[in-house]
Amino acid sequence: MIEVRALSKRFGDKLAVDQLSFTVRPGQVTGFLGPNGAGKSTTMRMIVGLDRPSGGTATVGGRAYREHAAPLRQVGALLEAKSVHKGRTARSHLLALGQTHGIPASRVDEVLAAVGLEAVARRRAGGFSLGMGQRLGIAAALLGDPAAVILDEPVNGLDPDGVLWIRNLLKALAAEGRTVLVSSHLMSEMAVTAEHLVIIGKGRLLADTTVDDLIARVAVGTVLVRTPEATSLRDALAAGGATVTSAEPGLLSVRGASAARIGDLASRHGIALHELTPRRASLEEAYMDLTREAVEYK
Amino acid sequence: MITFPRVVRAEWTKLVSLRSTWITLGTASVLAVGLAGAIGYGVHRSVEGGDPPPGLPEAVSAAFLPIDFFVLVFGVFGVLQMTGEYGSGLIRATLTAVPRRWPVTAAKAVVQAAVTLPVMAVTVLGSFLVCQAFLRDEGASLGDPGVPGAIVGATISPVLVGLIGLGVGTAVRHTAGAITTLVAALFVIPVLLGPALPGEMERNVMKYVPTVAGQAMYSVGGGGQPFDTLSPGASAAVMVAWVALLLAGGVSLLLRRDA
Repeated sequence: MIEVRALSKRFGDKLAVDQLSFTVRPGQVTGFLGPNGAGKSTTMRMIVGLDRPSGGTATVGGRAYREHAAPLRQVGALLEAKSVHKGRTARSHLLALGQTHGIPASRVDEVLAAVGLEAVARRRAGGFSLGMGQRLGIAAALLGDPAAVILDEPVNGLDPDGVLWIRNLLKALAAEGRTVLVSSHLMSEMAVTAEHLVIIGKGRLLADTTVDDLIARVAVGTVLVRTPEATSLRDALAAGGATVTSAEPGLLSVRGASAARIGDLASRHGIALHELTPRRASLEEAYMDLTREAVEYK
Repeated sequence: MITFPRVVRAEWTKLVSLRSTWITLGTASVLAVGLAGAIGYGVHRSVEGGDPPPGLPEAVSAAFLPIDFFVLVFGVFGVLQMTGEYGSGLIRATLTAVPRRWPVTAAKAVVQAAVTLPVMAVTVLGSFLVCQAFLRDEGASLGDPGVPGAIVGATISPVLVGLIGLGVGTAVRHTAGAITTLVAALFVIPVLLGPALPGEMERNVMKYVPTVAGQAMYSVGGGGQPFDTLSPGASAAVMVAWVALLLAGGVSLLLRRDA
């Protein structure tokens, strides 16, 4: 379990993370979403003690990360892709990290096999592709068999096979009862991987919700109506309790009335319709709406 | 569980698993011995040409002249132990594994000393013997007064400069900036400091400058410096103080800053 309480981080006069509070529970994949620059990476770095918070706390399993006697057994983190010296082999890199905790070489070989790098284990990491580097980073995160896993944009730069592999890995880790926090700026990626979502913008919490809730929230779709008598129709719809907005002359966007009801109403008032299109907002749009509001709010 | 011996073990693995470690130290060692031989040969030829034969201090300092410059190699080697981690991004993995941080620099210091000390012992002994062999009858021998001490001093002095480099690298973090700082501290400041200080003060200050104290550790009978130096033992204490100061300064910044 990862608990973030009123966490803040100030860089100069810019507030990168602002009074952020959320809890990441074990046994499910929690997606950490926000536009680029929202403060996701900074928050993750504060959880593992790389950045010092300007205010608030982040705890892992009940204590600050650095207070743990064996932190790699608490949290495995993939923060930025290449955190490897180019001249060192993949195996030596992991061996050195593991030795700080007395993790045996056999465990190093185990995680190298788990991420599919056993064939290149003794090759120098400088020659690794982006995808191989990402896999090595994930091997490092898994090294301590940690209770929680934190991955910052793990699918960045991966080919479709790699993306699918990460998705399945995240689900498997959560199914084993681990706490999994994975960041992304893409809702589409999180929609298929995560069960819970923490969405932030400009360092502030925008939503702490389940994917199902978010879908329910946006299931209220809109209907696009094109008509030469927009004003009359709008009045009629508004009288019926629907919300109407207009993006351009002759085009109405109606919320709170079905396409059938709008058609019937138009027919009763003798209004001609040129187009009647039910639109269901996607998760992506709901996310865009949420984050856009945050940007405008500032 | 993290223990200090385990962090030392990890840093040992890091150091010995880099090819550049062996290339740097090996090349420096071979060059130092080779140059010591060349210098011995040169001195021998000028004696044959009618120059007065070197005394014991000159014969010893001829062998260790290359060491004066190879301390820079060791200093840069020390700098890279830390800045290499920042440059590659490895520092994030390192400090996530050891979030209390100070054991990382402390373990690097232990491992670096453990690797560079035997390398220097072989290099210094080789330099001395090769140089004296070329000097033939004018050369010093291992049994001459002050020579064993000078050999020990020449072995330890570059190791200490390496640790100064580690401290500078921990504080400055960026390779280019840290190397510039180190070169300025070791070679530029001593050259400028002398003329900048009034005579009396110059005599009192210069002997505490790392480069001067470092060279005094392996000179016999003052080694012909243009200014006062401390005894080899006192110079070693000054060097250890510089190492402690710079490592402590580097670590206090490491603890305070975001990684």
